[in-house]
Amino acid sequence: MNHDIDIKKTRINCFRQSKVPGEFMLQMRVPGAVIDAKYLKVVMEIAEKWGNGTFHLGTRQTLNAPGIKYENIPAVNAYIKDYIHDVDQEMCGCDMEADETGYPTIGARNVMACIGNSHCIKGNCNSTELARKIEKLVFPSHYHIKVAVAGCPNDCVKANFNDFGIMGIYKMDYNYDRCIGCGACVDACEHHATGVLSLNKDNKVDKDTCCCVGCAECVLACPTSAWTRNPKKLYRVTLGGRTGKQNPRAGKLFLNWVTEDVLLGMFANWQKFSAWALDYKPEYLHGGHLIDRAGYKTFVKHIFEGVEFNPEAKMADDIYWAENEQRANIHVMPLSKHKTAGPQE
Amino acid sequence: MGYKVSFEQANKIFDKLWDKYDIYAPKRFEGRGRYSDTDIVRYDKVNTVEEIVFDEKSDYPAKEVLAPISQTLFYFTEDEYRESKCSTRPILIFMRPCDINAMHHQEKIYLGNGGYTDLYYERMNERVKIVMMECTEGWDTCFCVSMGANKAEDYAVAVRCENGNLLVDIKDSELDAYFAEAPAADFKPDYIEKNEIELQIPEIPNREVLAKLKAHPMWEEYNKRCISCGSCTVACSTCTCFTTTDIIYHENGEAGERKRTTASCQIKGFADMAGGHTFRTTAAERMRYKVLHKFHDYKARFKDYHMCVGCGRCTSRCPEFISITATVNKMSKAIDEIMASENN
Amino acid sequence: MNNPIKPIPCKILEIKKETALEYTFKVETDIKPDHGQFLQLSIPKIGEAPISVSAFGDGWLDFTIRSVGKVTEEIFAKRPGDVLFLRGPYGNGWPIEQFRGKNVVVIVGGTGLAPVRSMLRVFAEDPGFAKSVTLIAGFKNEEGIVFRGELESWRDKFNTYYTLDRDKIDNWNVGFVTEYVSKVPFGDFGDNYEVIIVGPPPMMKFTGMEAAKCGVPDEKIWVSFERKMSCAIGKCGHCRIDEVYVCLDGPVFNYTQAKYLVD
Repeated sequence: MNHDIDIKKTRINCFRQSKVPGEFMLQMRVPGAVIDAKYLKVVMEIAEKWGNGTFHLGTRQTLNAPGIKYENIPAVNAYIKDYIHDVDQEMCGCDMEADETGYPTIGARNVMACIGNSHCIKGNCNSTELARKIEKLVFPSHYHIKVAVAGCPNDCVKANFNDFGIMGIYKMDYNYDRCIGCGACVDACEHHATGVLSLNKDNKVDKDTCCCVGCAECVLACPTSAWTRNPKKLYRVTLGGRTGKQNPRAGKLFLNWVTEDVLLGMFANWQKFSAWALDYKPEYLHGGHLIDRAGYKTFVKHIFEGVEFNPEAKMADDIYWAENEQRANIHVMPLSKHKTAGPQE
Repeated sequence: MGYKVSFEQANKIFDKLWDKYDIYAPKRFEGRGRYSDTDIVRYDKVNTVEEIVFDEKSDYPAKEVLAPISQTLFYFTEDEYRESKCSTRPILIFMRPCDINAMHHQEKIYLGNGGYTDLYYERMNERVKIVMMECTEGWDTCFCVSMGANKAEDYAVAVRCENGNLLVDIKDSELDAYFAEAPAADFKPDYIEKNEIELQIPEIPNREVLAKLKAHPMWEEYNKRCISCGSCTVACSTCTCFTTTDIIYHENGEAGERKRTTASCQIKGFADMAGGHTFRTTAAERMRYKVLHKFHDYKARFKDYHMCVGCGRCTSRCPEFISITATVNKMSKAIDEIMASENN
Repeated sequence: MNNPIKPIPCKILEIKKETALEYTFKVETDIKPDHGQFLQLSIPKIGEAPISVSAFGDGWLDFTIRSVGKVTEEIFAKRPGDVLFLRGPYGNGWPIEQFRGKNVVVIVGGTGLAPVRSMLRVFAEDPGFAKSVTLIAGFKNEEGIVFRGELESWRDKFNTYYTLDRDKIDNWNVGFVTEYVSKVPFGDFGDNYEVIIVGPPPMMKFTGMEAAKCGVPDEKIWVSFERKMSCAIGKCGHCRIDEVYVCLDGPVFNYTQAKYLVD
């Protein structure tokens, strides 16, 4: 077999090197994690024809076919042209022309999403649709970014462990005259959320708006529609979450009560920010590290360039990430090893 | 008299009506449903025909207009209770036959029970003129035909919404005058004659069988399924229960209001007393209490009909998918069992 | 239009402290209740509660309140000359004429004494009214004894069995009221007696069963129910049991009906 393979090139092409020499696993993007079921036949065909006949549900919601021989990569790439066209080009509107060469980049990882409010009773936003809109802004790109969209603060998709973790939230409206003081919302908030509601002496509900996470459990529990979602869709974003050996950490609250326009304006600036941070030389480096290098305030300046905030929007003035305890000294290193952002000498 | 008016013409008539009447109808509240990106349809004042939802059953019943979820009974200071005042403007309410029948069910309690008249209900009731919304198809939770509540002839106006026009039949001469310039049309409303669901209400022959039915294991299912949220009774066209509460305007003030608020026998605490005693501590007991009220007790007291018009809103609104018709069928089966064991 | 739920201001004439926890209020009013009927007592800011009339006369009535619940806490701050709000009377009282000349057996548990108290006073003040009166009164503990002074004064007028559930105090028995039902000489009464049972629901149920064991027919038993009420005029639904509204059809029921009522 061929022992001269540019595995960096295959990686960018979304073929992951196997421990079996000469074999690769294809990762097909499913932005928003929902596609027509007919595409299962595509991945089945690939797995059975060129792969080892098995199928792996990718941890970032990709459709994976392991065991593809290096020499079959061109044939597979030709075969997935239609899939890439249908899913990324057509469905997401990505600025690209699908061709016989397969995926152009691996930088922006598949934008994950829970099933969202197209199905889920708890979902506050259509996470699939939002993920597709984000896909259009971040893919294709050599700049790395991990994004996930959760329909609600329950965060089943673990958005909080992504560079950007998005959660669908609402501001709730309370109709005093429709409230019968049953306390169902108080119990629901206590059990499922942050316990910000209480019954007052008039048998109506008081709310600690400061700690409300916007999950709408109160609306779900309310028998009279006294609690309803204000239909304006809003989002919370956590920043800088990641897994990994080096310094895994949960994201921190970054944006609260922002509109989709703010989100999309921000993602539209991601590539520009990344390019600046890496001095226009893309490298295989996760997005969160760029924020670390630039520093939060500098990152904010770049990422919101030209973005107008909605009146309800709140943004972290600063963020202090807590490192995983056993790696708390990770930043302590010889000065010569310190990394810098911006123009490099 | 019958007329056919376009929405445009109808809106002009609405404009004139507004000088004298408040018009209430089922209206869509976008994005205000229980789940995200769902709506609710409930009663509210409307200005135009377009606001009226003709093609969907409202989530909440018309009773909310006559017996609002919360209502001020009195304003008080330290030595006086002063009755709340109420507009005297007449009201037009767009209601389906089920809601019209439900109004009469409620009247038995508010205006009759025990020989006492509820002033607050009476003064609203007296303002009402019924605009009957023709309803010939129904929805999959409806069983109005089984409850004999599919028809209502005591309307001031009946309307059918058809291809952007309203066909109207007017019995009220005062309202007829508003249609003087409208083109005449031959229109009498139709009624639904068959629902998807047909419900047989079981007869409970005597109090011994009733006692056994109350103790029957069929109710235990609801301890697991029912979350006692009260959505069913709030959505019910006929439920009337309420609780009164005093509220004060300032923490240490002497002035405030005595309000009454819709209550639900399904919600824990409905029967709590000052000394700490309570009744019906389980969801099963509360369900039994409600279902028997609807399909036995009310009729036992008032004789004419059961306390249900088959609007099916309780089923539609139940977040736990408990169907009232399925529950009544289970009750029928339990009664059959009890009767069979008695005969052996 | 007449508003049957409008509270009427009544001046407090006198407040008598029965015990540390119980006050009797005498108020000026034209309300003329029957024995066993109830009133709705209203306190602005707090709300309303049904309350038994413990005595009444021309232009006045008494009610006794034990400090439980929000209404009663507030009312304990009142002084003579202050105003209380009442409406009523409501419901069906005791069929007292039916008790005339009979051997009357009254069995009460706890605050169940309140709705029979005014009638017991009639029996005490007019010894010719009833042929005999047997009073079985049970309380949870010494602290729970209501109208204690009056109970003591009735010892030489009625046949009394006073008991505490578990505690032993001077001149009081230990045990539940149900244990004393069989001590009543129903056999000596022939047909000429009536039994009144008032107390918490389980107490009434078991006492009724005990009476049945002693051969008391259902139609000779009378009970009074206490339920949550917001209106007292058959609208709010809180007091409904089966097809019955306690506020309208009760609070006094004959046991032939009451034994079938399941909350």
